[in-house]
Amino acid sequence: MREKTINNNPYFLKENIMAKKKQRTIVGSPLTPTLLDELGALSDFPPSSEDFKPAENWDSTYRIWTCHGYRESGNDNVGFLRIKRLINSQSSLTLKVHQEVLQTDALVNIVDATIDCRNNQLASPIQWKVSSWFRGADGKFISELSSNDNGAAAEGLDRSTGDWCLFEAVQRLKTSKETVLTFDMLEGLSLLKKGQHLSYRGLYTTKIGGENIPLHCFVQLGSGILPCEYWLDDHHRLLAVASMNKAYIFDEQAEKITRQIIEEERKSYEKRKSSQRK
Amino acid sequence: MNKNTTEKQSSCLVNRRDFIKLSGSAVALLANGTLKRNVFAARQSRRQKPKNLLLIFTDQQHTNTIAAGGCQYVRTPTLDRLKTSGVSFTQSYSANPVCSPARSCVFTGRTSSETAVYVNGRPIRSDIPNLGQWFSQQTDYETFYAGKWHLPRTYTSNIPGFNVINTGIGGFGYLCDTVMSRACEGFLRNRSKSKQFLLVASFMQPHDICEWLRLNMDKPQEIRYPQLADKFPELPDNFEFDENEPGAIKKRRLGNEPFKGKWNKEQWRYYRWSYYRNIEHLDAEIGRILQALEDCGYAKDTLIVLTSDHGEGLAHHQMVRKNTLYDEAAKVPLLFSWPGHILENSTDTAHLASGLDIMPTLCDYAGITLPKNMRGRSLRPILEGRSVSADNFIVTEVRSNTGRMFRTPSFKYITYQDDSVEQFFDMRTDTGETKNLAASSRYALVLAEHRKMLREWESRLDVPPNVPNADVWRQKT
Repeated sequence: MREKTINNNPYFLKENIMAKKKQRTIVGSPLTPTLLDELGALSDFPPSSEDFKPAENWDSTYRIWTCHGYRESGNDNVGFLRIKRLINSQSSLTLKVHQEVLQTDALVNIVDATIDCRNNQLASPIQWKVSSWFRGADGKFISELSSNDNGAAAEGLDRSTGDWCLFEAVQRLKTSKETVLTFDMLEGLSLLKKGQHLSYRGLYTTKIGGENIPLHCFVQLGSGILPCEYWLDDHHRLLAVASMNKAYIFDEQAEKITRQIIEEERKSYEKRKSSQRK
Repeated sequence: MNKNTTEKQSSCLVNRRDFIKLSGSAVALLANGTLKRNVFAARQSRRQKPKNLLLIFTDQQHTNTIAAGGCQYVRTPTLDRLKTSGVSFTQSYSANPVCSPARSCVFTGRTSSETAVYVNGRPIRSDIPNLGQWFSQQTDYETFYAGKWHLPRTYTSNIPGFNVINTGIGGFGYLCDTVMSRACEGFLRNRSKSKQFLLVASFMQPHDICEWLRLNMDKPQEIRYPQLADKFPELPDNFEFDENEPGAIKKRRLGNEPFKGKWNKEQWRYYRWSYYRNIEHLDAEIGRILQALEDCGYAKDTLIVLTSDHGEGLAHHQMVRKNTLYDEAAKVPLLFSWPGHILENSTDTAHLASGLDIMPTLCDYAGITLPKNMRGRSLRPILEGRSVSADNFIVTEVRSNTGRMFRTPSFKYITYQDDSVEQFFDMRTDTGETKNLAASSRYALVLAEHRKMLREWESRLDVPPNVPNADVWRQKT
């Protein structure tokens, strides 16, 4: 385990951000695991282990990190995504999704979803429930902004999937140039994005924490999205998903880190509010 | 907002429509206050009023980004629906093609030099009411604001005159627009239908192209996804640029990522492809709100307006982003939809429109008087198919109050302080703004008229003392 952690990374300290604001360097290249490490976004990846079985039950948590395009500032953790895979039968599985994203002034958006999926290459959704709700700076539920949706796929719709389903499906795909999938995607189980292609890009040596680590990469291209790269270790565990200025980074501490950030944001919001009152 | 403070504003000012109608001898009448304005006020009480108003505000949307409007590089089912169900303006301009200044103009109906928001991150001058404040005072509409504000904070839970649906996380359209549209969906699905609302849904997309530029500046010789190459849009016809441009433009171009990164043409085309994907994301998120509007039975009673703060360079004149007065940055989409009440599937190519027209138009539909000194005009007569003269002009300001664009139906005049290079384009024959006619003797007279009209417009502004460079414009008048 490397010593470097998110909390002591100099890029995350506010005083350093302020000091460096005037000497910002453009990142210049798309986000990859190597670059995420350079930018201080990675704490560590778990060692690749054959204990991980993508087709069995598992529970993975990803830290959501965003990048402003400068090396020194504007790059933040903004939340986490947890996906739990449960086998139902030979032909179906269930994904339980929980995502929290911090907004301005300590508001938090929470999305919960339960998705019954086919056990096919794409984990195509059969039926689902999704709810979006908000918690205010005082920690209380804001009922007037919540929404709930239930849905079911039409019979025979097996060339479709969801963005969260792809987090599962990609871990079962063959790491081979022959892997090319074409499908429509229901983003957040609500927005249809047609004409998606997912293909295997190859095995890349990434440099993380001074070590060379081989990672497999798939890329998704299609309408309504910027190219999205899925990075997996050699036992097919999905470690990072990067698309333009945001990345989902496998991190068992993601929820804890998010809670700390929310707490800090709440305090800072209260402080701002009380100084406005004065 | 204290109503008295808004009434203190100078009353001798004219809106630009009246001004061009009256330019010349009639201007003297306006200056001494003997001619009154507001051509539509008398008819307001007789007209039908929409129960609700929805203003969809996008960030950095190039005017040609709607499939139904002829853009062949995008899938935009939601924007297509909006466009075909109402009126779209092809000659619609931002009043200042930079985020905060443009927003201050849309939400007050006043120029950015008057609102004192001449650069990003400044608040609107306190004696000018914003849309929410004015509607709160004058109407029964409940006023709500969701998403990007940027006057001064990008996102905030406190906007005068509005109940804020507080979403946003800085500068990341993909994540924060999704949360914002979900919040708006919740708002529409949960609220009591008895009270009418004005809702502003302010998106960050397609502004994510700014981060894209910083994350794709280097290695132009390597296209990361060669399989996309045959899908890249062509370069625009006006990709090349005139070497003899004003200095401010040259400097801006050289400071942008494509020049720093020494892009080749394929990289430019990849940038264009990426921008259109952000448009598609925006389209889907707007679709979520419109679906909720439909599901909740609001659609037939809601006037929808869609516009943007400014455009995007998109490789025209080898520019990216905004902050110039070429059409790619200065023009914005402007759509209105209220089926059964305004024209449907109507594209207005004749009239010049401005972000300054949004507030007067919304006030007109709400049946209320305008705050004083509006610089725009209500577009309602055009939306309803009445005959309206297209002989108007619009003015766009830029670059910390140092640049001006004066656009008439046929010509565009651009001038910057401390720069002897002026630009003058014949927009009837040169829509790409490739031939600067400012030095042509053939156009000397008409150019002089444009200079004069700009000076006269300038002399009537109510610019507060803390706005830089205002004196230079005053001296010119």
